[in-house]
Amino acid sequence: MFSNSPIKQVAGQFWQRIFRARPEDTLPHVVTHQRVYIVPTKRGFAFLLALLLMLIASVNYSLSLGYALCFILTGLFAATLFHTYRNLAGIRVAKIEQFDTFAGGEATFSISLTNSLKEARHGIRLSTKEGSQIMIPVKPKDTTDAHLRVPAPKRGLIQLGRVTLQSDWPLGLWTCWSYVHAPIKSWVFPTPETDAPPMPSAMIEECGSSSTPSVEGDVSGLRQYRPGDSIGSIAWKSVAKGMGMQVRTYDSSHCPTNAILNLENTGHSQLEKQLSRLCAWVLEAESGTREFALQLPGDTLISNRGEIHSRSALKILALYGIDP
Amino acid sequence: MSSVTKKWHRFLPKISRAPTTVHMDARTLYALATVLLLVQFPHIVHLPIWISLTGAGLVGLRLFLLHEPHRKLLRFLLSPITVTLLAAATAFLIRLDFGYAIGRDPSVAFLFVLVAAKFAEIRRDSDATLLLCLSAFLLLTQYFYSQTMFSALVTLPTIVALVFALSILRDSQNPAKNTQQIKLVGKLLLHGLPLAALLFFIFPRLPGPLWSLPEDSMATTGLSDSMSPGSIGELSKSNEVAFRVEFDGPPPASHQLYWRGPVLSEFDGRNWNTRKSMMETGQRQQGGKSDLHSYTVMLQPHKQRWLFALDAASSLPRSDNVKPDNPGYTSSKRVLGRLMSDGQLIANQPVTQLLRYRQSSNLSATLHTSRPRPLNTLYLPGKNTKTIEFAISMRNRYASELNYAMSVLQHFNRDVFRYTLKPQLLGDAPVDEFLFQTKEGFCEHYAAAFVVMMRAAGIPARVVTGYQGGQMNGDYMIVRQSDAHAWAEAYIDGAWRRFDPTGFVAPSRVEQGLSAALPGETSAPGYGPLDSNWLRQTQLKWDSINHRWQRFVVNFDNDSQDKIWEKIGIQNPSMLQITVAVISISLAWSLLILGLPKRAKQHRSVNERLWRRLCHQLQHHRFARISSESASEFLTRAAAHWPSQRNRLNLLDREFRKLRFQNLNTQDSVVTQRIIRHEIVFLEMGITIARLKPRSRKPSMAQARK
Repeated sequence: MFSNSPIKQVAGQFWQRIFRARPEDTLPHVVTHQRVYIVPTKRGFAFLLALLLMLIASVNYSLSLGYALCFILTGLFAATLFHTYRNLAGIRVAKIEQFDTFAGGEATFSISLTNSLKEARHGIRLSTKEGSQIMIPVKPKDTTDAHLRVPAPKRGLIQLGRVTLQSDWPLGLWTCWSYVHAPIKSWVFPTPETDAPPMPSAMIEECGSSSTPSVEGDVSGLRQYRPGDSIGSIAWKSVAKGMGMQVRTYDSSHCPTNAILNLENTGHSQLEKQLSRLCAWVLEAESGTREFALQLPGDTLISNRGEIHSRSALKILALYGIDP
Repeated sequence: MSSVTKKWHRFLPKISRAPTTVHMDARTLYALATVLLLVQFPHIVHLPIWISLTGAGLVGLRLFLLHEPHRKLLRFLLSPITVTLLAAATAFLIRLDFGYAIGRDPSVAFLFVLVAAKFAEIRRDSDATLLLCLSAFLLLTQYFYSQTMFSALVTLPTIVALVFALSILRDSQNPAKNTQQIKLVGKLLLHGLPLAALLFFIFPRLPGPLWSLPEDSMATTGLSDSMSPGSIGELSKSNEVAFRVEFDGPPPASHQLYWRGPVLSEFDGRNWNTRKSMMETGQRQQGGKSDLHSYTVMLQPHKQRWLFALDAASSLPRSDNVKPDNPGYTSSKRVLGRLMSDGQLIANQPVTQLLRYRQSSNLSATLHTSRPRPLNTLYLPGKNTKTIEFAISMRNRYASELNYAMSVLQHFNRDVFRYTLKPQLLGDAPVDEFLFQTKEGFCEHYAAAFVVMMRAAGIPARVVTGYQGGQMNGDYMIVRQSDAHAWAEAYIDGAWRRFDPTGFVAPSRVEQGLSAALPGETSAPGYGPLDSNWLRQTQLKWDSINHRWQRFVVNFDNDSQDKIWEKIGIQNPSMLQITVAVISISLAWSLLILGLPKRAKQHRSVNERLWRRLCHQLQHHRFARISSESASEFLTRAAAHWPSQRNRLNLLDREFRKLRFQNLNTQDSVVTQRIIRHEIVFLEMGITIARLKPRSRKPSMAQARK
């Protein structure tokens, strides 16, 4: 009951409002003035201190020009505040695209920033908590993609996390930032094993027994459509002739081999190594346009090929044994 | 691993990473060096030459190292340790050169070297920050020495360079061109200018120093506290401005313009000196209203303590520029000096800065005093014996002291005395030589001779130095060093009376000034302008500009601030008024910079605005529309989310659909819009109330889950 007390709730909301710890932002997101923070940088504070000393000296020696110099720099300092603010405020995070990676690599998130102002926005630094950062300018009335790389040491799903948009343009006296925390995730597939052995021949089924259609090779005949057949291999002409759904079969010499991939076949005992080899095989199968089926405890993928198929295989491998 | 990721990275885009480390690259170094050289430039005027050379040399060496990074000797020379040692050595040398270490001038000199040394061994960004802050302060210190328009003009490019260096320091890899960057800097400075002006006008000026360091550069200009034959003549060759005066009324006639300065009553036979111990007097010259003149003096810093006033001062100098008859005006009237018993005005502190003071005088040639005449005004050392004999014999011929004094003056007129800037040099008994041999001299010769003649006859007398005359330029008067003058005062019939022997030798000196009295001796710069009218006009124009500069910029103080308030129409503004003014002006200023909120002016229809308002409101309650949802689906989902508001949400859904899909006439749509508007308000209230009492709902929900 206490955990739900209104005070706690309000405090939580306040916390969220300030630090955006939860991924609650929806895209496209405009950096509004309520969400822009601005404080002087270290250099800004040093500059202020110098201004203070100058002011004291001017007071002590009644230096009118000293006052003038001091105030000109103060005015500059204050004007810079507005310029720094305006450089960041109103920027629009139009969309965030994720590019998947393999464990040990870096997941890349492409963040589209739109500038609706007539002036360019300079030196916008995007960073995540993990310390990855990139600095980009955004041209006036234009959209720029910034690519943030997040190190992905382990397979699974990786969160982009809270992105900080920050800028200390024009003079580095003020730093201005805003948080964007959208629920964006990227896949991290297991690391593919280097120099993995080829798929064991035992796993390669007899080609003749294969009745699965293929895109390539010479058409050898037609057979009845079975659920699971690729739409691309349906002989639409025969459908049009009223012969029912039929799919093309292919000449055996060009018949791609069909592999069944499972943990036992890898010959490794450690799970990660097994997954790593499976991953290498999936990629190999895809580049060789071979069909394969994936059979993991609790998760199976029927034999198929193509990019979508291998991606779903990789996703299964990535999440295997991990609570989502 | 990396080869693998390379091999399989067909999923990943190729991205170049921004460099994270920043080196002190050439661009930054050149930007900093520009700042430094510009900051150093105005200081070379007053610093010892070796310090200027060290400072500039260190900057040069560092830039040289940038191009020749492999010179071992140079690297050693500019290593942090060597540079620190060098700075320490310089501190010691500065101590030797100036003779003292704790003071303004040696501190500035040391800061000068320190800044250059910091630049020589600069490594990191934080070094650069420190360097820029120190440079800004060093830039300020030049105003200790000069606050002319020239020094202000020199500062402007320095400020630009300083800000430019900041912008380069922020990101030296910035692809923006330098010209673009400078344009940006100019824009920033311009934007800051209104605030700067506001601060300049509003910021309270504190009178007097917070602390004072041992007084520095004692090199004085103008009159001094001693006079020997030829000293004032020397001063007269200078065309420099001593002070400027603004009269409240019409200026007095030229022959009345005796600006009293140091009074010299000590005589050692050759030199005249001021009296060391002086007494203050409360007595001020009284007189008729017709002779009273009020004026404002803008005294150029002469690093001495005397102030100048027309003879004879009838008030104390005050830092108040508001006319004394202005009723109700009491603030910031500060007394800046004292009136001494010999009629001198002595400032509270040496005048090291431009000083403006109000003064009024009662023009009269006699100075009444109640004090017994000081004995030292009778003292004569044993030199100049011929003069003393001559004086005594002359005194016996006249009954009254006044007649005697007049006849001495007549003597200068009768005999063949010549008034010249270039008299022959005089020896040990200068008055004898002057009176009986050379018979040529400048005002100090005549004044000295007159005083000696008086004293020899037993009449107390003293030399008064100061300025005589002045040149009107528009609404103010310029008094130059060339107007420096010496005259005499004798104590006759219970009052000090002014006698100006120069007026008898060269009457035009008193009537029209020095250049009229000495048309032939035009070697000094001040005399030429009489001949060429064009040059003279230009000089006066320039002086007028300078005067305004000093009056309104350099000497901007509390009084000037009050005057500005008065012009706006607020007398003695209260703190509240000032605060309101500051805040409103600052607000206007920030709006001006930010530009008025530039909303994308899309002309949305009323219907669309209502729909957006509803969506925004629900989003506020953390219920966002998913982009794939239709309006109806969204509202249905919302109804499920807030069961208590189901009816209202369903109604809203219906009304929105009506607006969107039915072709309503104007009146109907207005009615529908009004309904929606009301419902949105009630919905907001309903949701808020529902959120405020979560506990009452909680048990039922828990039960429902079970």
